Amino acid sequence: MMEFRPLTYDALTIGEEFVSDTMLVTPEDVDTYTYAVGDDHPWFSGPSPFGGAIAHPTFAANQALRLRHSRYVVHAGLHAKMQFEFLEPIRVGMRVRSRGRVIDKYERRGKQYMVTEFVTEDDAGTPLVRGQFTQMLIPA
Amino acid sequence: MALASVPAVGHELPSLDKELTQRHIDAYSGVRTRSIHTDEAWARRKGFRTTLAQGMMSTAYVSEMMTRFFGAGFVRGGTMSMAFVQPVYAGDRLTVRGVVKELRAEGAGTRVVVDVWCENQHGQKTAVGTASGVLR
Repeated sequence: MMEFRPLTYDALTIGEEFVSDTMLVTPEDVDTYTYAVGDDHPWFSGPSPFGGAIAHPTFAANQALRLRHSRYVVHAGLHAKMQFEFLEPIRVGMRVRSRGRVIDKYERRGKQYMVTEFVTEDDAGTPLVRGQFTQMLIPA
Repeated sequence: MALASVPAVGHELPSLDKELTQRHIDAYSGVRTRSIHTDEAWARRKGFRTTLAQGMMSTAYVSEMMTRFFGAGFVRGGTMSMAFVQPVYAGDRLTVRGVVKELRAEGAGTRVVVDVWCENQHGQKTAVGTASGVLR
């Protein structure tokens, strides 16, 4: 059974790791994402140079971003920075999960930030997307 | 449609226009209470004038611009680094722009580095950074 604590600057430990649940990439999820961002590229619904349909390159970013929710209650946060390396396309029908690690936390101009590196991989462990994000913590 | 030849430094990528409705934000973030993205009362309580789009929606827009320009050379091998410098609110309109900054030989191809940014309907930049794709 998981215990969830409020996310605070003091509760965070540099080096702590997170793992998401595994997500099956369904056509419906890909369709919802493309609606949300208003991108109707034909590769997301039909053939692509990679074989069948693929997901939007940033499709799994929310899975990575929500890694901290697997351990903490997050009252609010603002995204400050985001980096991606798109290594392989996320294909419809894959099962993907993200793993992350807190690599830094710092205070600047009275604001508190956490930095997380992540990788999203398929169920064989092949890295699909690597990245890093910096989030400002908003107190409860 | 992906470009067949390497663009020159200074080349402007075709821009995109995006209207951020609450419905789009809801679809992106998932509707939750106590969310600055989907709960207006909570967003106000946290000091914002209304709900905010997730910063990552802007990375999706840049990704769209890059994929339409570079095709498979962005989907496999692309990079992006963005900083979110102004909040984007429900109801804002963003324009997504890119200008080729640098060309680097990479294997049998060329990595094209692009300055990218999003600006709102007031002309304020909301997200800035670089992205790259590979042309072979």
